[in-house]
Amino acid sequence: MKNIIEVKNLTKEYRNLKAIDDLSFEVHEGEILGLLGPNGSGKSTTINCILSLLKFSKGSIKILGKEMKPDSYDIKKDLGVIFQEVAVFEELTVYENIDYFCGLYIKDKTTRKKYIKEAIELVGLEEFKKFYPKQLSGGLLRRLNIACGIAHKPKIIFLDEPTVAVDPQSRNSILDGIKKLRDQGATIVYTTHYMEEVEILCDRIIILDKGKVLATGTSDKLKELAKIEEKVTIEINNLQPEQIEKIKQLENVDEVNYNVGNLIITYKKGKNNLGELIEHLKKENIKYNKIYSERPTLNDVFLELTGKELRD
Amino acid sequence: MTVFKTFLKVLNKCKFVIILYTVILLTFGAFNMTTSENSTNFVASKPDVLIINNDENVGVTKNLVEYITNNSNNVDVKNNEDAINDALFYREINYIIYIPQNYRQDILDGKNPEIEIKSTGDYQASYAEMLLSRYINIEVIYAKEIKDEDKLIEKINNTLAEQTEIEITSKLDTDSLSKATFYYNFASYSILAGAIYVICLILSSFNETKIRKRTIISSMNYKKHNRILLISNALLAIALWIFYVIISFIIVGKTMFSIQGVIYIVNSFIFTICALTIAFLIANLVNNKNAINGIVNVIALGSSFLCGAFVPVEWLPASVLKVAHILPTYWYIQTNELMKTIEKFDIESLKPVFINMGVIALFTIIFVIITNIISKRKRKIA
Amino acid sequence: MFIHNFKYAFKTLFRNKMLIFWTFAFPIILGTFFNLAFSNIENSEKLDIINIAIIDNEDLKLDENKGIKEAFEQLSDEQNEDRLFYTQYVSEEKAKELLENDEISGYLIIEENKPKTVIKTNGINETILKYVTEQIMQTTKIVEDLATEKITKEIQSGNIKIDYQKIYQDVLDIASQDNVKIKNISNTNLSYTMIEFYTLIAMTCLYGGILGMTSINNSLANMGEVGKRTSVAPISKGKVIISSLLASYITQLIGLAILFAYTIFALKIDYGTNLPLIILLSLTGSLAGLSLGIAVATLVKSNENVKTGILIAVTMFGCFLSGMMGITMKYIVDKNIPIVNKLNPASMITDGFYSLYYYDTFDRYFFNIASLLIFSGILILISVRGLRRQKYDSI
Repeated sequence: MKNIIEVKNLTKEYRNLKAIDDLSFEVHEGEILGLLGPNGSGKSTTINCILSLLKFSKGSIKILGKEMKPDSYDIKKDLGVIFQEVAVFEELTVYENIDYFCGLYIKDKTTRKKYIKEAIELVGLEEFKKFYPKQLSGGLLRRLNIACGIAHKPKIIFLDEPTVAVDPQSRNSILDGIKKLRDQGATIVYTTHYMEEVEILCDRIIILDKGKVLATGTSDKLKELAKIEEKVTIEINNLQPEQIEKIKQLENVDEVNYNVGNLIITYKKGKNNLGELIEHLKKENIKYNKIYSERPTLNDVFLELTGKELRD
Repeated sequence: MTVFKTFLKVLNKCKFVIILYTVILLTFGAFNMTTSENSTNFVASKPDVLIINNDENVGVTKNLVEYITNNSNNVDVKNNEDAINDALFYREINYIIYIPQNYRQDILDGKNPEIEIKSTGDYQASYAEMLLSRYINIEVIYAKEIKDEDKLIEKINNTLAEQTEIEITSKLDTDSLSKATFYYNFASYSILAGAIYVICLILSSFNETKIRKRTIISSMNYKKHNRILLISNALLAIALWIFYVIISFIIVGKTMFSIQGVIYIVNSFIFTICALTIAFLIANLVNNKNAINGIVNVIALGSSFLCGAFVPVEWLPASVLKVAHILPTYWYIQTNELMKTIEKFDIESLKPVFINMGVIALFTIIFVIITNIISKRKRKIA
Repeated sequence: MFIHNFKYAFKTLFRNKMLIFWTFAFPIILGTFFNLAFSNIENSEKLDIINIAIIDNEDLKLDENKGIKEAFEQLSDEQNEDRLFYTQYVSEEKAKELLENDEISGYLIIEENKPKTVIKTNGINETILKYVTEQIMQTTKIVEDLATEKITKEIQSGNIKIDYQKIYQDVLDIASQDNVKIKNISNTNLSYTMIEFYTLIAMTCLYGGILGMTSINNSLANMGEVGKRTSVAPISKGKVIISSLLASYITQLIGLAILFAYTIFALKIDYGTNLPLIILLSLTGSLAGLSLGIAVATLVKSNENVKTGILIAVTMFGCFLSGMMGITMKYIVDKNIPIVNKLNPASMITDGFYSLYYYDTFDRYFFNIASLLIFSGILILISVRGLRRQKYDSI
């Protein structure tokens, strides 16, 4: 498994604040790597450092085995970037914008034409080829933003929070598009603070906070970091304290909370917890309305690691 | 109060522009004071003449030199082509007289040698040439008959001494009034440009679609909001006007303490209000900050040029002045010009002034009406 | 890739309505205003007929004052080609009233055989009236003197039969000759209006800086999102900046060319005959504008509107100092604080054109060219640090 990108001991300071603190990670070939973290955790800064746009005080960055510098044109031609803010020319049409940026990578006109067509199809902007950015809605604009970044079929793609403030339809289209790109052979670094996206999309996830890596791994592995295995919520009216105590004695139970008609039970581990609980309730003749069980989310993982919510 | 406070904050960001236009006005006004060669106000003052005497400074030549010197300001310039050309260019001298070699002898012999001159071609230079022509004519005529040099000189001087008695009826300090008129005329550019630019910039911030929507749905009465904005802008315009008036007192001086001074002030006040309404009209029509820049310069510079704020009214072609009637600046400037000539101030002589002011007021009302119509329409579409 | 960027830089500039207005339309609009305002200046120096009055009193009818009376009659004669006056003969009271109401420039009253001129203010018309009156008085004196002289000579040479009529006539002939031989060797007329148009050219050159500024904004990572994208692409920064600036520069020159065409053909402005030097001045002037735009773009840390505002303000002020709103300003600055106009790019351009038009030698012209080049050089040098930076502390 080749390491496409290697970040070692990256540190960036703004005056006294460490925006990135001794950060190290790798990106493997052909994977979608998620950088997950709240606002201000250093995601965008990390990307900008990797792209050689920002200065950093310590550490090294290697892409495709070579050190990354502002004039590493051989590396740059294989990179594609989609920044958080829309980066297009107001004065050019959708087609022209993609043509311009693609043209900075692909010199051959015929190839370029083909690529542009494919890019427009990928993001679903066929009807809007001749439109100006001013005439596009927020979601369509983001699609254009993406098309501009990947039209030249880069091997490595960086996406910095590409779905912020995007309508659900566009968002799905974007996520699908990204999967397609990976299937076509690209390696993708994806930053976001939306955990649902990361769970759907990413092969591996790195959780960041305050410029430091908190945890790395696949979605499942990370969830194992959570202390809890399962969380069950039941709607029960008039539960008596003795009954609560009894439930607390059940196997694998970690914590029990009863509040406003909702009983929340968290389990440390175990596979048949829900079944046993239902049996117990039946035995004790406790009536309940709704019952559901949840696996821990990354938010829970994050909460545990930092005491903060992801969506702060 | 919040509206007013926000207004002030937005204003603070625009202070650069206001300062720029004020500086332009001040610089021009101030320098105008130090130069007395205001080209429109021809006072039969002494022109600046340079005499290059290639003959000996004796006899008739000396007499010529003395005559010119007594009737002009003598300026010292190095006698080389470049220095002389520069002096002409910078109007340090208006007229250069090259007295040829052997002039004295030629005159005494009854000949009429040609004299070369260089001239700036302006009024001062024309006056210098009139002096020179007069002298030469008298000199040559006498020289035909009188051969004795001393007698010749005596005759020439006696004739020159024949001057008509002058009585000037005007008690007006025309020089000072001209300066005041010039200052206030130029102020029309600063006031118009400054008012439109600043007010439009500020209002464009308030009128930005997203902010407008917020304002409309807020609990503050939309009309009240508009009224406060209007008053804030009016205060700003008035503050600007007061500032310019104070500067005029400093620059023009005691002439401002007169009926003319009062009229200048009232006139400029009315004009400022008119400029205010123009600003509002434009702010309602245009939102794009860049477009505002363009419009301000076209309107302000255009009216200023065509109505006589930069180029004196006397020099504008009649056709242009006819067209200028549709611009409020024209009427404002006409009143200022009248201040230079009115002697007696009574109802009769002030009638044109009142008419001019009335026209400006009419413009103001028309602009307000149009603005209201447009903003009502906009509200519905919004 | 250079050409690719160049082509698109052009497209972006030409589709930007604001830029096109400032560099193409505004100068032409302003030029038209100038033309309208100035078209009459040269003509207005021609003198109109002056309204005067002469008091119809007893003295006027006297023989001694026949000369004055006839002289004025001739000068007021409708048939006279060189007519100067429109003369009314009225009572003193009426004359005072006419003067009060500005219906006449002044009136003449003959008291004790001497004419007195009564005027209101000291304007050009009044001066002419004074001058003419004095002229008549002086001519009268000359005639008297010469006649006396001649008669004395005749008597001295023993001539008893003196033909007074002939003497008088001869003397009159002599006195009315125009003996003035003045030759004006000035260089071509120092035209008021030309400088205004030169300031217009200067303004257009400097406004072109906005184009340069826009190009820079699109090319640098710390100037905006598009700049970020461009910085990440495998094209050298130098290529991007130079191709963009080249597109700006050429657009500037096109705008300038249009302005020249308009002023030369539609407005009939004369720039002199030295075409190569005019072109050189235009090129250096535009370069100065471009470098000004680059400097403002790299050194001012604010949003695009503020930068544009600064550029326009600086340009207008510079043009103001070099005479756009009144030629007097240029003279005043040049005389009193010449250093200002030596540093003012608008002045360098205006002065350059002026020296081409007015002077024979080129010293002054080349001084201005050199100044413009130094100005551009310094600004570009200052901006280079900002331009070359590839990694930033923050973006």
